[in-house]
Amino acid sequence: MRVALIDYGAGNLRSAHRALEATGAAPVVVSEPEGLRDAQAIVVPGVGAFPPAMAALSAAGLVEPLRAAAGSGIPLIGICLGMQLLFDRSEEGSGATGLGLLAGEVRRLPSGVKVPHMGWNTLRPRAEDPILLGLPELAHFYFVHSYVAAPADASVVVAEAFYGAWFPAIVRSGAVWGLQFHPEKSSRLGAQILHNLLAILTARRAG
Amino acid sequence: MTVYPAIDLLAGRAVRLQQGDPARQIVVADDPVGLARRWEAEGARWLHLVDLDGAFTGRPCHLDLVGRICGGVGIPVQIGGGLRTMADLDLAFEAGAARAVLGTAALGASDLVAAAPVGGLLAEALARFTDRIVVALDARDGVVVTEGWQHASGASVVETARRLAAAGVSRFVYTDVASDGMLAGPNMSGLSAVMAASRVPVVLSGGISTLDHLRATAAAGAEGAIVGRAFYDGRFTLAEAVVAAVGAG
Repeated sequence: MRVALIDYGAGNLRSAHRALEATGAAPVVVSEPEGLRDAQAIVVPGVGAFPPAMAALSAAGLVEPLRAAAGSGIPLIGICLGMQLLFDRSEEGSGATGLGLLAGEVRRLPSGVKVPHMGWNTLRPRAEDPILLGLPELAHFYFVHSYVAAPADASVVVAEAFYGAWFPAIVRSGAVWGLQFHPEKSSRLGAQILHNLLAILTARRAG
Repeated sequence: MTVYPAIDLLAGRAVRLQQGDPARQIVVADDPVGLARRWEAEGARWLHLVDLDGAFTGRPCHLDLVGRICGGVGIPVQIGGGLRTMADLDLAFEAGAARAVLGTAALGASDLVAAAPVGGLLAEALARFTDRIVVALDARDGVVVTEGWQHASGASVVETARRLAAAGVSRFVYTDVASDGMLAGPNMSGLSAVMAASRVPVVLSGGISTLDHLRATAAAGAEGAIVGRAFYDGRFTLAEAVVAAVGAG
């Protein structure tokens, strides 16, 4: 499966590229709209802050093409900051508008906990979803973030994690997916999640 | 408690040094990327990478290799050795490091003086990178040593830990230089004193050669233990170490 891995200058893509390759996908680094043309799935990775990330996507001319691709049913997966970009807006910095593919906003982690939330943490499933297949109870995943999504529709939450409060760790609406943790840095179980995801996307295409 | 397998880089290879002396090195792997992948496959949750050439020369020497290691494994990596400027930190994070370890040599001389405010690189690094900055406290006989362990600073390690934690350092790696690579057992009283003074997570490095050392380190409340030579000498496996680290709480 040809997976467009969006490069908008927000940190290093190497781990995500390697992890996708390991699932049998064919990741292609894409930094301009033409690269989305043949994409069978799109991954928006992310490290950094929301407003400059949206500005970089906008400068690359990728905002509307990403919305159009998701609108036409091409699976779109946001990782970490990439997940937050899927929502309507974020309060990070002086605030910024996101891709608007999921309803809701992105808010700072609750006061009273150290930010960023950085390290290994467990997930609690909220929905039965094939992305969680084969995961043991108390599976740990690696997180680095200071902001969390607050979806308008709680039914998009597939799994959540606790850091000062429960927050969405995996969200899904149709073919739009968000992972707040870094599957590409979460060792074997992170690879399992990506494997499950690719299997779901492959099955969708076949079906 | 997290067990951090250590990979020390010297001239492009993974080595172990005894008491920080480059003349007393043992090559553990010619291919550090392969070694890092092996640790991941064995279940490591974190890796601790040290650019020894960087530590000795005062500037990062293996950023390309660090990038290949960070990008080549599916677990977070903390790196240290020769990071002395904000530009070095930018490059380390661009290479894919999850955390950067600043040695005391990276701190201003005033940072090691009890009366002076913390300033310069450390203040700027903490403001920008917060929890991604770790300070390595290397000590001999309770006194901070710098410059690849060649020089004693005169500053008390316990007092330095207290001051730097108050200034916002959120994590320390504590190494008793006399114990490192000697397999004689960690300096537990030194560890406890640094933990009590700083009240932030402390990772112990140096001197762990038995599973009992790991159990004691976990029981003392350390956030983690960096283990190098004991693994490379085959004294115990990572799986055994993880069990020992969990078993003690």
